[in-house]
Amino acid sequence: MDFTLTTDQSALMSALDRLAKPFESKPIDFHGFALAGNGLERELTEGEYFDIAQIPELGPLTAAMAVERLAWLPCTVDTALSMLVRPQLPGDWPRPIAVVENGRPGRFVATAKTVILIDGDQASLAQVGPEDVEPVESLFAYPMGRLKRRPAATALSAEDAAKVRGWLRVALAAEASGLLQAAIASAGEHLSVRKQFGRPLGSFQALRHRMAECTVLAGGVRWLALKAAATGDEADAALAALHAQESATRIAYDLHQMLGAMGMTLEHPLHLWTYRLKALVSELGGRGGQALAVARHAFDA
Amino acid sequence: MDFQWDAEQQSFRDTVRSFLAANLPPDWEQQAHGPGSESQSAFSKKFCAALAQAGLLVPHWPRRWGGRDADAWTAFILAEEMWAAGEPRGGQYMNVNWIGPVLMRFGSEAQQDRYIPAIARGETIWCQGFSEPEAGSDLASLRTRAEKDGGHYRINGQKIWTSYAGHADTCFLLARTAPGKTGMSVFLVPMDTPGITVRQIPSVIGEGDIHEVFFDDVRVPESALLGAEGQAWEIARAALSLERVGIPRFALASRMLRRAVERLKQEGRYGHGAVEQSARAHAACEAARLYSYQIVDQRRHGTPTGPEASAARYATVMCERLVGEFVVEHLPDALSGGDPLLLAHHQRAIVAGIASGAAEIQLNLIATELLQLPREPR
Repeated sequence: MDFTLTTDQSALMSALDRLAKPFESKPIDFHGFALAGNGLERELTEGEYFDIAQIPELGPLTAAMAVERLAWLPCTVDTALSMLVRPQLPGDWPRPIAVVENGRPGRFVATAKTVILIDGDQASLAQVGPEDVEPVESLFAYPMGRLKRRPAATALSAEDAAKVRGWLRVALAAEASGLLQAAIASAGEHLSVRKQFGRPLGSFQALRHRMAECTVLAGGVRWLALKAAATGDEADAALAALHAQESATRIAYDLHQMLGAMGMTLEHPLHLWTYRLKALVSELGGRGGQALAVARHAFDA
Repeated sequence: MDFQWDAEQQSFRDTVRSFLAANLPPDWEQQAHGPGSESQSAFSKKFCAALAQAGLLVPHWPRRWGGRDADAWTAFILAEEMWAAGEPRGGQYMNVNWIGPVLMRFGSEAQQDRYIPAIARGETIWCQGFSEPEAGSDLASLRTRAEKDGGHYRINGQKIWTSYAGHADTCFLLARTAPGKTGMSVFLVPMDTPGITVRQIPSVIGEGDIHEVFFDDVRVPESALLGAEGQAWEIARAALSLERVGIPRFALASRMLRRAVERLKQEGRYGHGAVEQSARAHAACEAARLYSYQIVDQRRHGTPTGPEASAARYATVMCERLVGEFVVEHLPDALSGGDPLLLAHHQRAIVAGIASGAAEIQLNLIATELLQLPREPR
């Protein structure tokens, strides 16, 4: 048991900090729902960051830290699916990766080269091209898309399907962890400068306690996500995803409440994290789905 | 970063479990008594003496004081196994967690020689004289005063909600020697000193746990002062930094959750609502566990623990709450004579957010120190 970063992990995180720097602020003229990180994607590809989970000194744990770090950015790329799930797929599947659950629109589908299809308990993989997909306008702050037609797919064995589902949960939790931290930091900044009744909002105990509770929840998500990435254990993955969705549900609501009307606007970046969190909460059966998985693994339910 | 136990840690955990299996009475889990009760206090002395004999009472202490300089993980693994077993050390957990270490840091040679060996042998009980009727979370407003009287101090005042006072040999007492925060001092007061009256307060926690302690013209020699006059705030902070992530409450909460689920399953009562709620409680327990481990790891590396310790504490409070709510809603029969151990856990769990500083104080610390939010005006 050791919670300190290895030298390799520290070096990678520093490199990611440098890489992320130019992408840290939301463009002033951007007033849309989802900010796709095309420039960021180019940098990550050139630096071969999408493959860090396969490097023995780094592995999925470090990939999860990278996913978490990059989720702080206002723009978004399929880092979680590509860094954490793709290496676990049977065979070599090209990125970008997207997931289509029960035929619904999904994150990154419109630009995906590989789609993971989830239909109830079944899972399959398909390579897709531009002719198979189309973008969808969505409230969620991810570039969303859908399949125009059902592509030819390779069904996964029950064992592989369970493994992929487990890593989808790790990916969800790692990304949620970064989003939660970024959203809390963004709201914290607002509470420190916005004054009402002659005081910064953040000096009112009602809000301070609520923010602190959000912070505790987010920290728990972080540790569960990192542990799940480190062990690759399906039970740990289910726990991490459940705690992530539970916490995200509450925190997304609370933070918007703290921002008041400012949080309704598209000029403030908060929605870029909270509406991504909402998309994550909707996946893999939501909280009920994760709870069943946890109970199955932990209590043999 | 590594989330696995190494072979030595695993083997130590096995050793502790074997010790518990060999030394707890067969009906241990049927005894739903308060941690400070007569029987528990008597048992803790027998049990802790045996632990000491086996080198399992204070392994994390320096060799000079009967330990073997084991690291913070050893101390925490020990604490996890003890707490998960229903804490057979009773109030003595406090001695090994913080009273001994605080005496090692701030005590005079005479105080160390007088008190530490008895703690290391497992034969003494302490109580913590902090809270007063007018000073709970606002500890700095305490009124109990210690006035210099020649080579003595004369102590007058009242402490309340004092755990283990009924059976304690010594009180770790906070008293005022001058006005203000810097006028607070710590005294090590034998509980048989004339002028001390202890009254038990009936509580939902269980028999013998909390008390009122009255000090009427209690005379103690100057040598009872720990550290210097006015050093109490510093000493209390040192104690609380060990105590904030002191009891691994998640360990028993987690075990009790599993116990409740097993029983519901056996009886065909583990339905959809119970499944969801138990999963949530389980996630909260594991989050609290990892949070606490982070703090233990900081201790092991000698890094000062910051506001993350408050976050770890609050995560633990939340997991106790969720497990408690689960049992109330889905296995209420356990609290009406159905399972003494689940009952004992439920009774103790109410303390989680209150003892060693109210959870709301932790939230304030998190808001100020971790989130850097502006302070409340005073």
